[in-house]
Amino acid sequence: MSRASGREYHQRLKGALDNTFLGQTLARFQGNYRGSRQAGFAGMDFEALAAEVGAAKDAALGHLEELYQQFKAKAEAAGATVHLAHDAAHAREIIAKIAAQTGSRRIIKSKSMTSEEIHLNRHLEAQGLKVTETDLGEWIIQLRGEGPSHMVAPAIHLSRSEVAELFTQVTGEKQDPEDIASLVEVARQRLRRAMLEADMGISGANFALASTGSIATVTNEGNARLVTTLPRVHVALVGLEKLVPDLNTALKILRLLPRSATGQLISTYVTWVTGAVECAANRGKKELHIVFLDNGRLALSQDPVFSQALRCLRCGSCANVCPIFGKVGGHNYGHVYIGAIGLILTYFYHGPEAAQELLGNCLNCQACKVNCPANIDLPGLIKKTAGLLLAEQGRPIKNQLLRRVLTNRPLFHFLLRRAYLAQKPLARGGRLIRHLPLFFAPDQEFRSLPVVAAEPLRDRWRRLAPKVPKPRLRVALFGGCLIDFVYPEQAEAFLGLIKGKGIQVDYARDQSCCGLPAAMASEEETAREVARQNLAAMEAEWYDYVLTLCASCASHLKKYPELLAGDPVWAGRAEHMAAKVIDLASFLQKEAGLEPAAAQGKAAAYHAPCHLCRGLGVHDASKELLREAGYDYRPYDDEEVCCGFGGSYSLDFPELSAAILERKLRQVAATGADTLVTDCPGCVLQLEGGLDHLGSPIRVRHLAQALAEAKDK
Amino acid sequence: MNQNELRQEFGRKAEAVSAVVTPVADLAQAFAQAARLTALQGGKCLAAPGWEGADLAALKAACEQEGLELITQGLRERTGEFHTGLTRARWGVAETGTIVVESSSEELRLATMLSEVHVAVLPAANLRADLFSLEQELDRTLADAPGYLAFISGPSRTGDIELVLTLGAHGPRQLHIMLLEEGS
Ligand code: SF4
Ligand code: SF4
Repeated sequence: MSRASGREYHQRLKGALDNTFLGQTLARFQGNYRGSRQAGFAGMDFEALAAEVGAAKDAALGHLEELYQQFKAKAEAAGATVHLAHDAAHAREIIAKIAAQTGSRRIIKSKSMTSEEIHLNRHLEAQGLKVTETDLGEWIIQLRGEGPSHMVAPAIHLSRSEVAELFTQVTGEKQDPEDIASLVEVARQRLRRAMLEADMGISGANFALASTGSIATVTNEGNARLVTTLPRVHVALVGLEKLVPDLNTALKILRLLPRSATGQLISTYVTWVTGAVECAANRGKKELHIVFLDNGRLALSQDPVFSQALRCLRCGSCANVCPIFGKVGGHNYGHVYIGAIGLILTYFYHGPEAAQELLGNCLNCQACKVNCPANIDLPGLIKKTAGLLLAEQGRPIKNQLLRRVLTNRPLFHFLLRRAYLAQKPLARGGRLIRHLPLFFAPDQEFRSLPVVAAEPLRDRWRRLAPKVPKPRLRVALFGGCLIDFVYPEQAEAFLGLIKGKGIQVDYARDQSCCGLPAAMASEEETAREVARQNLAAMEAEWYDYVLTLCASCASHLKKYPELLAGDPVWAGRAEHMAAKVIDLASFLQKEAGLEPAAAQGKAAAYHAPCHLCRGLGVHDASKELLREAGYDYRPYDDEEVCCGFGGSYSLDFPELSAAILERKLRQVAATGADTLVTDCPGCVLQLEGGLDHLGSPIRVRHLAQALAEAKDK
Repeated sequence: MNQNELRQEFGRKAEAVSAVVTPVADLAQAFAQAARLTALQGGKCLAAPGWEGADLAALKAACEQEGLELITQGLRERTGEFHTGLTRARWGVAETGTIVVESSSEELRLATMLSEVHVAVLPAANLRADLFSLEQELDRTLADAPGYLAFISGPSRTGDIELVLTLGAHGPRQLHIMLLEEGS
């Protein structure tokens, strides 16, 4: 990110964070969505269905050219004309030419992200054509001269008052912001007139069926039906990736798309057009042109890594569940395409310039990934796309340092020890640093930072190592940087929990950082190198489990096989170790159990680390243990929403990290809990720092500590 | 699902998307209902393309009864004048409360799009559990080109202003499904 553009982007983010209406609307939107989506998928195996859709899309993406030829033959036999546009300019030219040849002057459109992608309206208007968007949200933003802020709900950033004001200007009559039905009525009347007068209708398509040459649109308002029926000419602009072989594939997608978009079991209208249908306004037959847009899709479909992005169904879910989108909205979290998929597609469709500010702005919280109906590894692709940028633009100093330091464990650990000395005067003898000198890390005032421990876990180990003569279980403890150097007491608490249970625990001295920070910085080679070092150090073959108290480390260790796939020496060992990786809560439930409940009904809320609940799929174990230990467990809505830490994310985007944290802490406080429990030292750092900064009496405990304290009582 | 369960599920799901399902014994009753609700809502004209012979005669009688004008073609010229569009639906889908309307006729499309109220007559015998159970029929229909096929689930809606659900954005404000008990 260049300095200037980076500063500008942060300014925009700050502006969005200051916009209270936007914040409230987005919070309501995301809250409603969570409930509707859940209801929509009730009783269904989402994961299996999403995997099926992903596989079906992949199969189609492997044969796009064939599918295109097949589609073209069918559709043209039915009276359509099928075009292939190589890029945005070509598509605009084709459509402008159709308008000229058919003498079309007035154009109506139904919603099409593809037409936004190629900035079609601007071009057609420059040719003197009158273009009217007919989707209510699209019409509103067209009147305001804005782009969409969401792929499904394009005007979600606007309040009813803003719409009423706009419609007052448009109609010359005072509109009542509280009467939304009458605002919708204004659009209905105005747009009905435009639709009846139009010469040409432009639509998008959700599917193009190669087997029959049909295109389908999925809408709620019904405007796409009018757009494809009333004018004498119909142009459908369709991304090549919308080609599917047959109806069965389309139905599979249709089963997930509306549920994922809004929680509806199906959208109000699903409309299938095959060929040149009856149209009295055009001497009996509609003039139908179907323009397929390549714009990089064919090349992308052949890429072993990035072709996944083309599975996207444009449901918008990856924005709906993203904590960052929830704070700043689509105008700051995407370019034309919005949300997680927007970060990726912007690079491919609109270029590195447009994407570079966005690509760093991801917490890797995995919320988008587990909700994606096309099973796309969105955070993974975001990091990989950022990696392409690095390769093109050269590595910033930060990355070069990371590479040098992380791959050299002794150097890395030396620096961590030095950090203890450097920070000592700042901590004034306490455990948290409340005020950082600003030059050290800007905008970090929203939370206090923990102090690096005087004696790291690795130095204490000789003293701590449990002596178990005839162990029934052998556990290799993977510390991770934060446990080792900042929170060794969390590991001590763990040792207390398994004392006398016949469990041997070893701490391999040569283990280092798990490598997640490198992966987050798109330094894949560094991440691989660190992974190999850890595999060698841990010697997992000798153990029943590789246990870690850090959810992020756990989910990253589980990624080693993917990271080292194809490596003749290490791939096998990586698989082997990944199978043994386990989190604390699951380990305790499976192998150790708890002492009889002793906690005294202390009220505890829980924060689910992203990499535990979504990364490892462990949702309930920790809460069950807390209850078992006698805590009065208090739930709240956003329990599984990211705390805003995201490792170095909180250093790069402190304003957002703080805003996301604040929302969480507000909910926690409302539960009345006096203890907040989580199972990741990174989350502890963020939560504890935020609470300390607020002067809140709520204490943060790692699960190991919370359970150990209950036992001690 | 047996026929009875299908009917119940369809009714539940259709109503969940704000459609109104009315069981009728025969076509005559469906026509009478359509004409009646049109008149009650102050409509003057009912558009019903695609009905022929004895059915058309019965419909005419029902409209006369309520003092309605019946039109069957030239709908484009009469935009804004007809209150109700009356059509058949081919199939009904219980899982989602959807009706499938073969809409290749332009007049029929206009009747379902430009009316204030859409009334669709659906033979109960044509209810299916889900779209996958209709796959072959749908496939055949799509292959019969050129064609226009519509899955309709409830009346037109939007949530584009502050996500407040509002019916009747562009299409009909109401959808009435006359569930026909006799064989079609
Ligand atoms: S990437 Fe997935 S979640 Fe995001 S819009 Fe596409 S299909 Fe939906
Ligand atoms: S991983 Fe989290 S922060 Fe990143 S795009 Fe997905 S939902 Fe947003």
